This record gives sequence, structure tokens and C-alpha cells, in this order.
Amino acid sequence: MQTKDPQKGYVAILGWSLRCIDALEKFDRRYVIVAPQWAEDYATQHGIPFVSWDFERLNDRSFELSTTLKDMGVDVAIPLFEETVEWAGAINSVLMKNPRLLGQSMLFRDKSLMKRRAQLGGIRVGIFEEAMDHTDVIRFLKRVNQTLLKLDGDPNDPIHFKAFDKAGCLGHRVIRSPDDVAAIADDEFPALLESHLDGWEFAVEAWIKDRKIQFLNISEYVTLGYSVFVPATPELEKYRAKITEQIEKLIEVFDIDFGFIHPEYFVTNDGTMYFGEVAYRPPGFNAFELMERAYGFNAYQALVLAFDPKATQDELDAFFPTPIKDAKGHAGCFGVYPRRRVVSELSIPPETENDPYFEFHELAPPMESKVTKRTAFGTHWGLVYFFGEDPHRLRDLLKAQEELDFYL
Amino acid sequence: MTTSFQDETLSPILRSFEHVLSQLSTASSAGKATYQGRMLDTIKRLLKHPEGIAALEPRVEELEQAGIFAGTDWATPSSLIPGMVGNTLKMAEPRTVALECVSLLRFLSAARDEKARPSLPSEHARHFLAQVLALNLDRILGAHHEADRVKARELDGAVDALLKHILASIGTEGILGQLVDEVWRILRQRPIQVDHVKSMILQIALAMNEEGQSFSTSDTRLGAGRLISALFGPTELCREDPGLEVYRDRLAASDTGTLQAEASGMARAMHDTGLVSDYHAVFLRFVLESGHGYLVSDALGLSNTGLDSFRCYQALVQQLIEVAVHPGTAQAALGIALILERGILYSPPIAPSLWRLLGSKLTPACEASLTSAFGVGATPHQRLVAGVMLLLGQPLGIGQGNNPTCQSARALSMWALNDPDYLLWQLAQATSNDRVIMYFEGKPLDSALLPAGLALHTPLDADPVSIVLVPHLDRIYAEMGRLVAGRAEDPHRWINPELHGWWVGREFHIAVDIATGKLSEYDKFIRDFHTAYHPLHNGNEPVIHPQPAGIAVTDSQGAFVGWHAISIIRVALDQSGVMRVYFFNPNNDSGQDWGDGIVVSTQGNGEHLGEASLPFSQFTSRLYIFHDDGLKTVSESPVDEDEIGIIRDLALQSWARNRH
Repeated sequence: MQTKDPQKGYVAILGWSLRCIDALEKFDRRYVIVAPQWAEDYATQHGIPFVSWDFERLNDRSFELSTTLKDMGVDVAIPLFEETVEWAGAINSVLMKNPRLLGQSMLFRDKSLMKRRAQLGGIRVGIFEEAMDHTDVIRFLKRVNQTLLKLDGDPNDPIHFKAFDKAGCLGHRVIRSPDDVAAIADDEFPALLESHLDGWEFAVEAWIKDRKIQFLNISEYVTLGYSVFVPATPELEKYRAKITEQIEKLIEVFDIDFGFIHPEYFVTNDGTMYFGEVAYRPPGFNAFELMERAYGFNAYQALVLAFDPKATQDELDAFFPTPIKDAKGHAGCFGVYPRRRVVSELSIPPETENDPYFEFHELAPPMESKVTKRTAFGTHWGLVYFFGEDPHRLRDLLKAQEELDFYL
Repeated sequence: MTTSFQDETLSPILRSFEHVLSQLSTASSAGKATYQGRMLDTIKRLLKHPEGIAALEPRVEELEQAGIFAGTDWATPSSLIPGMVGNTLKMAEPRTVALECVSLLRFLSAARDEKARPSLPSEHARHFLAQVLALNLDRILGAHHEADRVKARELDGAVDALLKHILASIGTEGILGQLVDEVWRILRQRPIQVDHVKSMILQIALAMNEEGQSFSTSDTRLGAGRLISALFGPTELCREDPGLEVYRDRLAASDTGTLQAEASGMARAMHDTGLVSDYHAVFLRFVLESGHGYLVSDALGLSNTGLDSFRCYQALVQQLIEVAVHPGTAQAALGIALILERGILYSPPIAPSLWRLLGSKLTPACEASLTSAFGVGATPHQRLVAGVMLLLGQPLGIGQGNNPTCQSARALSMWALNDPDYLLWQLAQATSNDRVIMYFEGKPLDSALLPAGLALHTPLDADPVSIVLVPHLDRIYAEMGRLVAGRAEDPHRWINPELHGWWVGREFHIAVDIATGKLSEYDKFIRDFHTAYHPLHNGNEPVIHPQPAGIAVTDSQGAFVGWHAISIIRVALDQSGVMRVYFFNPNNDSGQDWGDGIVVSTQGNGEHLGEASLPFSQFTSRLYIFHDDGLKTVSESPVDEDEIGIIRDLALQSWARNRH
């Protein structure tokens, strides 16, 4: 095991991720994992520093957690999952004696507040509104389409419906007609409504230290919710300078001193950038793994460096590679959803498995044979990983996976 | 060009392989598990590639060091069981199959290079692989069953190729020889259940047909020939395995001299191997039906004792043959022969008990259990009578199957050996009332009213008597355990005499303290065992009844595995003057390696059929419970302190390592 350097920072990780723990075991920072009790046995068994905590409980005990961590000598808390972002904000405001950090984390947790803040700061966003019930959704759908000068009977332009505080695609619906509105359950409100932007959607991963971007990655979506790869194609990378400008704006507007952000943008045909949303935690869809494959650096260790108040600029400079130039190839992954209503077994299609770009999959055999109907963009059943030199070939390969059955 | 094509398809797989391997090998112990799955996926792809095995082989050591086996049963190769490999290789989950393949390649590298793995001596690795190959000859020979073919699995071709590769590396010769030796070793323990032995012999027969040329060592050939002929052609008239119908026609057309020769041929093959051919059953039924009943004793190979017994109880024996000996239950003939040789029919209640058994009508529940275990070939009643013949003939041949019921199996064996009348009474209770009532310290325990014991289901892989009785005995045993649960000592102190019989000594000795699990007065325990059982220290008194005893079972590394019930049959000098304990182990194969050079012998050291044995001191070093009748007072020849020291050290090196 890597020896720990007591001169460097001591970090608390909020959330349980074996990949992250593995990265920390191999890193020189002291760490402690704060996670629910069910993980405790595994932690004890493998000698992982552990504090048991129930994040689902109300916030009234968060001060207790901050005190516990402070007494241990922890310098900073790092959120791994959407649900732990405001916990990290609350803890860090105590550890760093900076109450602003809690408010900042609240912005990251509420998609509507986030958009307003961006808009106030002069960042371009689409039309959006908050919906408290079904009628709000119908009204927004009508108003948006009126604005677009559609007549009754013309096919509607879709709108997007997103839960306020869920990660990524969870609870994200595309609404085209009042019928779609009827399918929304009461408990999905309140929610955020957005107009649809015709453009190229992509995500950015940015490590920030001292208000400066330390490393910026562009993740190209092939199909939203299905597939992503890094580094992006040259066609998207040509916007890198513009994108960097946008991220610097975000840093200003959201007052980000340090940490890691994961925003999503649209770029329209004329090169205009629209801000979608931003998260203050590692992305889902395992972009960290893809970056490790493409660049060879460990993104979780990078996360720790970006949060650690004791990390130096020299250390950061030595850690990060040069974007694009240092990539050994392009790494992508595809999220599998069963295409059939009834499935009995996992079967990797031969055309996937025999492709030279295919690496491995993390698909689980089906637990039950009936597939729940997908109403919103939901959770995939696992990821399939690819790696290769040609980004266009990789993109087409990822696209082709959508037509294949992984569950029979 | 084929080569360049294959290079082209192999290199991307190897690229992923190397990447994932580096992830796995640098992962911390907490992270290993998250990389094993993807590693196995890339191994699977490699295995499916025509050049895959060759590419995988040199990387096996690296894989092992990276932790591919970490946290799995495969992590300690020395405790893997060759018999389980075949099933794993047929599993649906390709990752498990891939892991087993890597494990086999690891054994192969150990077998080739003595220095490769200190924990896995090449001799052991060779032996392991030989057994795996022997048990999976059908795959190597391409003789897949139709059922296998129908549900072909993704890695089947790769696994077949791997087995062939291993075979090519370590050679055919050893395999068949080993398999033949293995079969003989098992048969010398005279197990009641021989189905798996029969299937191994079938494998040998197939292999000899296929590989006739290369299979040349005459010794092995002879040993194999005897096994195959004992099953498929024991005598002149059925030498070429003509089929039961044809054989019967031939018998009908034979003269007395030929029939006489057939009878002695059948008997010879049966007693030589412990296997009874279906032709033997046909022969016995033929001679009884055709008025040649005088040939029965010859066909059973009876000695003077057996013959006398047979003559005294001729009607009973003929009826037993009539009911129990059919093609499919032919083994019962051996049981009948051995019952006659044991002379137990002279004990007054036995013959009437057997008549009761012959006339009994089984309850629907008993019939259902027997049918689900054995199928519909013979009637449940025929199965049961055949099973009783086998158990009474070979009390030490019973095995617990793959069930946690060593106590019940031991009890059945003891009763068959010591108190067959009681056994038959228990059986009658179960077959007519679906219940067994036993008394514990005066309190009746009715198995029909008790909850399940250690075995949650009726055992299906056991002999007919066990199928009927073990569920009842197991419940009673568990209930006895519950009744004494509050007492501060080992429950077997009270359970053993109550469960097995009055003859179990009431003086109870145990080597460990129950509360702490630590050794307690261990030297005294060793000395007491000598004065109770060692003929040179107990006034030369033999073991009178089989006595239950508890063993701390250890694996071949000497590491503690668990507590196990056995019975001590006798203590005597073997032919080379070593004092040995001869005992019965209800485990299905007694020939086990308990580490530190303690290898349980089953033949060649004076064992009777079915007995296992160890030199007295080695046995004592694994003993933790024994009973004594309490008749001895003071030992005239004290036990040498050095001897006690040797035994204590053997125990402390193994199961008692953390108990002192």
C-alpha cells in the first residue's frame, strides 16, 4: 500500500465507491470514507478508514458529522454522488470556516436555482420555468410552441421535464403532447421545464483549483443517455477555446474556488453555447474510467488534488496531462437498456464482442425476466466499454450498439 | 495468410487484456473485486480465440499475482477438489468457467516446473490434473452426451481445447492408469453406492476403445480389463457384452458344466472387484427359476460359513434374491453373500425381521422418497430390500453422500455391524408409520413431530436405507442437541449413548474446553485414550463394540476443517508390527490426507474391507472426543511421556494451533 504523507491533505469522501477507494489506497493522501452502514463490514474487512453515516436522514445532525471529521483532522469533504453534494457543502463550510460553501452547494443541487444564477451572471440558457403540477407543464408546452409560431395541428417542438435534484438523466422526460404530460406521476413535481435546443449536446469535466481550470475534458455524447466518449472528435474539440471561456464564466458566476464540476452544454449550428446544467461531483456514466483509459491518469486522485487545500500548483501541473495531445486513444462506453419486454439471459452480441475496439462489459445477468417500462431516461443495466484510435469509428460503433440486443 | 489474420484478431484482445491486467494488478485489496469481472471477460475472449490458450499460458502467473483468484475458493489451489472441476466447466456463467480454465493452466504450469509454486508441488499438480482429465474423458474424446450438445455453452469449444492441450502436455498414459488405480482404491473400501464408480469404468472402457494404440502398459491394461469385464462381461457366455436377453437364451441352451463355470466366474468377478454385473442378476434369477437352485451358493461364492448359513435359511435367501436382485439392483447379490458370510442370520430375531421386511408394505411417503432418489426402474420395495442387503452385508460401506449427516450415517453403520435387529426395527417403524420413536433420558422423541435437523431435504444421493431413515434420525439427533443445549459440556457426552445404543461407553473424554474452545488437560486426554484403547496399556483388551469418536479433520496442509464423527472399530498390530486404530469414516471416501504426513490408509495395512486406519499416535493426534466403558482401573504399563509429547506436537502443529 502507498504510504500516506501527513504533510498533505486529509480528505473525507462522502459516498461509497470501490473505484474511488482503490484510487485512494494507491494515493499519498490520508482519507476516510463516509458512507452508509451497509458498507461497514466490507470496510472493516479490508482495513478501509470508515465513518458510518446515513445521508438519507435530515440535515439536523450534519454539524455532528462536521465536528467528528474536524476532530479527526480532516481538511475537506468530497462528494461522490448528487445526494451528498450539500452534505459536503455543509461540512466544508465548517471545516474551512466559510459559510458561503453551503449556499453554493444548494445552487448545485437545485436545477432551477442553478439556471437562474447562470442567467443572472450573463450565461446563455434556454427558456425555462418551474412546474408545480400538470397544468404548468401543458401551459409551458403551449407557450413555447406559440412562440415558435406553430399552428394548431402542427407537430409540437418538444420540451424537457427534469426533476430538480436528481443526478444526470434520472427523472428526465421529453414531452411532446398533453398525453405525455398525463403520464407524469404526481410525486415527480416540482420540476424544471426547459425548451428543446436543437444542437450538439456535450459534457465537460473540469478540475478547478484557486479559481483556475487545471484540466478540462470534453465528453462527446453520441446519443444522450446511451453513449459517451473521450476525448471528443476534432469537430467538437475545435470549440475548446470557446468552451474554456464558458467554464471560466461559470467559475466566476458560481464563485468556485476549488473542486470539480461537470456541466452540460449545447452548441448550436452557429457556434452559440447554451448552458444546460452543472453538477459538483463526478459524472455518472463512468467518464472517470474513460479518462483513465484515454490519458492514463486517475481521475479520482485528480479529484482529491482539486479539493485538497494543501495541494500545490506544482503538484497539479505534474499530475495532469496535456489535453488531446497526451491521449493514447479514444475511450467510450455504451449504456445498455434491454430492448425486449421479457428477457431471460445476458448475451453479448458477437459483432460487439468481436470488434477490435471492444474491451469489456459490466453488465449484470437479468434479475427478473420482465423489463419495467421506461418512462423517463432511467438507469441503464450496465456499461460496455470500447477503446480505439479513430474517434469517428468509435462514434459509429457506439451508435451501432443501439440496434443490438444484449438481453434475450 | 492465416497467421497474419490471427495476429490481427488476437492483438486487440491482448491490448485490452494487458490494460485490464494492469488495472487488476495495481488495484488495492479493496478494489480487486471490481476488476476481476472484466479481467475474466477478456480471458474469456482470449480463450475463444484459436491462439488464445497459447497466449494465455505464459500470462497465468502474472494473472495469479495480480489477484484473479483473490477472495474466491480458487485462492488456495491445494484445497481444490478435482471432482468438482467438471461441473464448474459446464456452468452457464462464462466468468466462472474462465476462472476454472485459468486455474487449470496454473496447475499445468506447476506440474511442468517443480520450482514454479512452492505451495503447489508438481507431483500434486500432476495428480490433480490427471484426475480432472480422467473425470472428463468424455469431453476429450468428443463423446459428449446428446443433452450436452443440445445446450451447448459459449465456452464449450474452448474448454475442450484446453483439456486436450493439458492432456497433450502431461500424457495419456498416466491418466488412464491413474483412473484405474483410483477406481480400485475406492472399490477396496467396498462402498454401498457404486454408481459413480461404474461411470468411471465406463469412461475407461470408452477411452480404451478410442485410444487403443497408445494405451499399452500391461499392468494398467490388466487392472482396467478386470474392472470392465466385472461390469460388462464377467464370464465366458457374456464376454462380449451381448445383452441380457441373449445371455439368458444362452443360459437356457447350456449344459450343467457350463452353468457351473458361469456360477464360479460370476462369483470370482464379484468378490474380486466388489462390483456385480447385471448378467450376474440374470444368472441368479435364471438358476432359481429353472430348477438349478443348487448353483446359487456357487454363484454367490460362499465359503463354508456362508454355505452353512445358506443351507439353514435357504427359503429366506431365495426369497431375498427373488425380491432384491434384478438387473439394476444386482449389487444386492454381494450384500446377500456377505450377510451369509457374517453369520448374522443365526441370531434369533434376524431371519424373522427379514421376513417382516419382505412382507412389508411401504407408506406412500417412503415410496415417494425412494422413487425420487432412484427413479422407477425397480419398485421402491425392491430398492429398499436391496438396500438392506447391502447395508447388512457391508456395514462399513455406507456413506453420508453430500449431506451434513455423518452422525446418522455412523449410527446406521454401527447398528448394521453391531445390532442389525435394532436397525431392522427402526426401519419397520419408518416404513409402516413414517415415524421413528427413540428415547432420550426416558423422554420419547417422535421424529414425525420434530422440526427438520441438519439436512433440510431428504438426501437423494444416499443408499436406500439412508433415504428412508436418515431424515428421521437427523431430526431426533437435532432434538437431542436442543434438549442438552443448556448443559455446559459437549452435547455428544449424552447424545452418543442415547442415540447409538447402550454399549457406548458412559465415560466421556474431550480434549477441548467447550466454553473457550481451547485445549484442556490435553496430556491427560492422550494418556486416557491409551489406557482405554491401546492394547499394550489397557491389559490387552480388544475394542468390544464399535465406539463413536470425534475427529478434528484437517486438510492436506494440516489446517483445521471441522469436527467429524467416526467410529473406532478395533485397535491391533498390522503386518509390520505397527499398532493401528482401524476405524469407520461415514465420509464417502476415507482415503484422506490430513497433513503432516498423516494419510489415512484404506488398504495394505491390515484393513478389513471398508475400514480406514492410522498408526495409533497419528490417530490420537486428530482425536478430540472418545468414550470409555469405565471398567479399567489402574494402568499397569504407563504411557511413555515422549510418546505423549510427539502426539501433542502433531496436534499443536495442526488443528490445535490456536487452541492452547
